[in-house]
Amino acid sequence: MTDDYDVPDDVAAYDCRHCGRPFAREEWLALHRGLDHPAELDEEEVTAFRAAHEAEESRLGNFRLRALGALVLVYFCLLMIYALV
Amino acid sequence: MTTRRRRVVGWLVGTVSLVLAAGTVAAHGGSLAGGGRESITVPTWLFLSTGGAAVGASFLLASFVTDRAFIERIHDWGTPLTVSDSRLPGLAARLVGLAGFVTVLVVGFLGPTTPQTNLAILLVWVGWWAGLAMTTYLVGNTWRALNPLDTIALALPTLDRRYPDRAGAWPSVVGLLALIWLEVVSPLADEPRLLATAVVGYSVLTLAGAVVFGRETWFAEADPVERVFRYYGRVAPIGYGEYGLRLRLPGMDLSTPRLVDGRDEVAFVVALLWGTTFDGLVTTPAWADLTAPLVEAGLPAQVLYPLALAVGFGLFLGAYWGAVRLSRQTAETYLDESTLAERFAPPLLAIAAGYHLAHYLGYFLVLAPALWVALLSPLSDPGAVPVYEPPGWFGGVGVAAVVAGHLVAIWVAHAAAYDTFPSRLQAVRSQYPFIAVMVFYTMTSLWVVSRPEVPLPYL
Repeated sequence: MTDDYDVPDDVAAYDCRHCGRPFAREEWLALHRGLDHPAELDEEEVTAFRAAHEAEESRLGNFRLRALGALVLVYFCLLMIYALV
Repeated sequence: MTTRRRRVVGWLVGTVSLVLAAGTVAAHGGSLAGGGRESITVPTWLFLSTGGAAVGASFLLASFVTDRAFIERIHDWGTPLTVSDSRLPGLAARLVGLAGFVTVLVVGFLGPTTPQTNLAILLVWVGWWAGLAMTTYLVGNTWRALNPLDTIALALPTLDRRYPDRAGAWPSVVGLLALIWLEVVSPLADEPRLLATAVVGYSVLTLAGAVVFGRETWFAEADPVERVFRYYGRVAPIGYGEYGLRLRLPGMDLSTPRLVDGRDEVAFVVALLWGTTFDGLVTTPAWADLTAPLVEAGLPAQVLYPLALAVGFGLFLGAYWGAVRLSRQTAETYLDESTLAERFAPPLLAIAAGYHLAHYLGYFLVLAPALWVALLSPLSDPGAVPVYEPPGWFGGVGVAAVVAGHLVAIWVAHAAAYDTFPSRLQAVRSQYPFIAVMVFYTMTSLWVVSRPEVPLPYL
């Protein structure tokens, strides 16, 4: 991968020590290391990946609930409109 | 997983049938097929909202699939196809292409002058631009093998001048817009002599380019037609992978990184999408109303069409880059704009293919019998030609094609986002601006296909 990066000067960036890709959050760096460089992790990085993955799972659960709510809303709104028009 | 998937499928069927129920909108069939678009049976605003909601809902549904391994399995699924080493099929394809080319020129200049019986007109519009293009995204790209100009260029000498790197795909972007303009404003589908002249003009230009810069460079970079077919071919289930021909699920190749490389290629994808829209837009009554004051104010009609084409293309391109910029913010990523733009442009090809199918499937079926009759007697005018009458429900096929194109695009963009971002929520957020643009685009296009078709004003 030869992606180009554009990091603003005044913000913190967490750079991957394997490929140099910068991330805005430490948690994303931990996830990136686990996903893209799984063979090169040390103990600490493995723990960080697991923790970040778990945190992500619980937030995804939250997101799914909200997405389901939005779906149901769209569905019933349309259903009602079709019933009335 | 299975229950979730079943729920997903159930919902999809629900939304699609809602959209189908919303309107039996016939596709824009082009000038040859005659007849207009059918009117719809529900209020337009409701038809449009349903279309927009279907796209938004599909995005929400795609976001439920969060299993990276599952997404990768779907995208990597495929089997290599064995190809014989024989050179015979390639040779046969070149001969067929050449025969078609010669037929278009001969019949175009010497054949009957009524468009519905002239083989050149039918072969170019029905056989090639409708039929062959459909097989390109539904099956696989064969134009690379058929392209008669490529075959002729084989026999020509080459100066092998260096193709300027800076030009990249830009000549093909300009060429595509020029072809769209020509197709819209001139009676290319009505006058065989004019069509044959246009084919000669395009051939001379293309062969000159191939002679100066080398055949392979010219067709890989600058030729718009070759590029259109190549891009459509990426939607197809059969394509070239690392180890030769390969069968995949349709559209899955579009999530491959570096499929579109550079701002020029992003612009070409957008031009392809805009071309489909412009084609339909200029035949709506709203277009006539909108442009009437401009023409009355003294704007020549010859300037109006290319100007509108360029302005609309600029707007589409601007909207896409705007979405890219917003996406960088919503995803909080440090990847630069170009990387994101290149990553999320290929899914748009599935949408373009969906619209092409919606526009041309009916057109193809209606005129395919005429093409057959003309093939049997290329130079004599058979008088009346048979046309196929599609059944009443056929308009729904067009809407289904539009929706299917969007569904594939949303799924592919979802997979590309997962591949790009380490956090899955970040991946979902990166898609918000693109989905907003897509919803807007769907509603615009559905609006275009639901308008009655009127002749082009001022031409």
